[in-house]
Amino acid sequence: MIKRTGRTLELPSLATISSTLAGVLVAIYILAPFSWLLLTSFMREQAALSVPPQSIPAQPTLANYLTFFDPSGTRAVVGSRAAEQTLPGMANSLIAATGTAALNVILGTLAGYSLARLDFRGRSILLVVYLGSRMLPGIAVIVPLYLTVRTLGLIDHLGALVITYLTFTLPFTIWLLKSYFQAIPRSIEEAAFIDGCSWLQMLRHVLVPAAAPGLVAAAMFAFMTAWNDYLFAVILTSTIASKTMPVVVAGFATDVTTERTLMAASGVLAVVPPLVLAFFFQRLIVQGLTSGAVKD
Amino acid sequence: MARLRDVSSLRRGLHRRSGAVGYERPFFAYLLNAPSLLAVLLLAAYPIVYSAWISLHKYSLKRPRVFDFVGFSNYLQILQSQEFWSALLVTLEFTALVVSLVVILGLAIAILLNRRFPGCGLLRGLILLPWAIPPVVNGLMWQWIYDSNVGALNGLLLSLGLIGEYRGWLSDPTSALIALVSADVWNTVPLAVIFLLAALQRIPRDLYDAARVDGGSGFQLFRHVTFPWIAQPLLIVLILQTLSAIRAFDVIYVLTAGGPGTATTTLTWKTYLTTFDSLDFGLGNAYAYSVSFITLCLALIYFRLLYRRGEFEA
Repeated sequence: MIKRTGRTLELPSLATISSTLAGVLVAIYILAPFSWLLLTSFMREQAALSVPPQSIPAQPTLANYLTFFDPSGTRAVVGSRAAEQTLPGMANSLIAATGTAALNVILGTLAGYSLARLDFRGRSILLVVYLGSRMLPGIAVIVPLYLTVRTLGLIDHLGALVITYLTFTLPFTIWLLKSYFQAIPRSIEEAAFIDGCSWLQMLRHVLVPAAAPGLVAAAMFAFMTAWNDYLFAVILTSTIASKTMPVVVAGFATDVTTERTLMAASGVLAVVPPLVLAFFFQRLIVQGLTSGAVKD
Repeated sequence: MARLRDVSSLRRGLHRRSGAVGYERPFFAYLLNAPSLLAVLLLAAYPIVYSAWISLHKYSLKRPRVFDFVGFSNYLQILQSQEFWSALLVTLEFTALVVSLVVILGLAIAILLNRRFPGCGLLRGLILLPWAIPPVVNGLMWQWIYDSNVGALNGLLLSLGLIGEYRGWLSDPTSALIALVSADVWNTVPLAVIFLLAALQRIPRDLYDAARVDGGSGFQLFRHVTFPWIAQPLLIVLILQTLSAIRAFDVIYVLTAGGPGTATTTLTWKTYLTTFDSLDFGLGNAYAYSVSFITLCLALIYFRLLYRRGEFEA
């Protein structure tokens, strides 16, 4: 930490020291709760139930994670429905979240383009409609949504979940992509038309590559929202045909016989995909967030 | 970016083709918006109207054949019930606590991360961790931390000598609310940090230099240089955070289920209970509408703020 600059020996300033200390506190605040969950997922049940609580597992084990792959194996007695449902739940969540993200990008590009580039009657009304529907609390529409989905016979179908998530994520996507498209100069687009590109070709070869960071950010946010949702998933699903990860993980909590270490392991699994995405696209998230809500 | 250069170099020497997509073709614009609008109208606008209609009826899944129009009596019933006012009070307490903590903590961490110190880059990445955790998992994680027998909080506080014996943090009304608030704050503070950090980074450096030359220091710098630049983003964080606190559901479901008693029963949770536990859809929708109404008022303020920024004219 001590730097030699010229003749004087420069010690880190008081500001740097206090910032570093504060930084350490923030790091502990962020890491401590999650490490507790993570470490527990590698514990044996007795260790996790010991008093005073252990922080570092004395005999770390992978048994909890392995149970998900062989739910009827050695720990079948205690291993509950929730353990059996963990892997299918992961698959359902991945399908629902990826589907939501993909549809968001496609529909959001079309609508976002029109709002960024085209002049038409009702444009500002549309903007307000999209922004307004983003404000809608899920609990306010859950009953009619449930009744509608039930009438359509789509209860317990992943499709119903994807369409629901689409509705709740699309407004943000449209606003985000609108800002991105507006930042791209029109001349690039016009040049493509001069070259004889059709509108779709222009979109594919010019606008989409230029707005790629925005598209990725939009897809990510949609994925996260869909992945995290519990309210709609718990109402619109009933069996493992469509139960998503949050429903499965919450299932551990209501099931008293379930081991806590298994629950922790299942919780950790549910965190992995969004966490990987978040760190992988860290920069984009920041960009996306700021241009989505506040325009530069 | 390479692609962009290709396109613009091709542009030279090519004649303009007429009949390319014009910017004033309304039909095309409507066509592009049709799928999105359909999704939003079908699954947001239609349900919200349908929900209003149900709230004016006596309709319970316990007696599914009955669907009698009762006017505003569901609303009168909730307005006269002690449960509604208690839930409203809990909602206000929960929201006020979450929002003020998120704003204060979020701003403090953002200001910290805006500085240079060893490991600041690492910490900027780390701050995303709580954001990536689904609220249900977050709830379970904290439930376990607060556990009265084997929880980490008890273990930690006891070993530090701050408490004499293990406590049931979730079984006392006051500490349950505080526990719920802390869990939700941990989950939602990163978003505020990222948002405010981006706003802080947009402040031109020379403004600080100029202010220092004028003899400003510490708090004065914050008040006259930093604050004007982040006032608007701060307000937006405030409103978005308020909206998300009002609709908090997952974390309540997992952590406290509205208890002990009704100590953490917010309007959102009450709506859920009335609808899916008591199966009273008429009354449940009246509750849902009260949540919508509060949300709508906040959304209007949010719109006005964006208007002032000129966002709509963009």
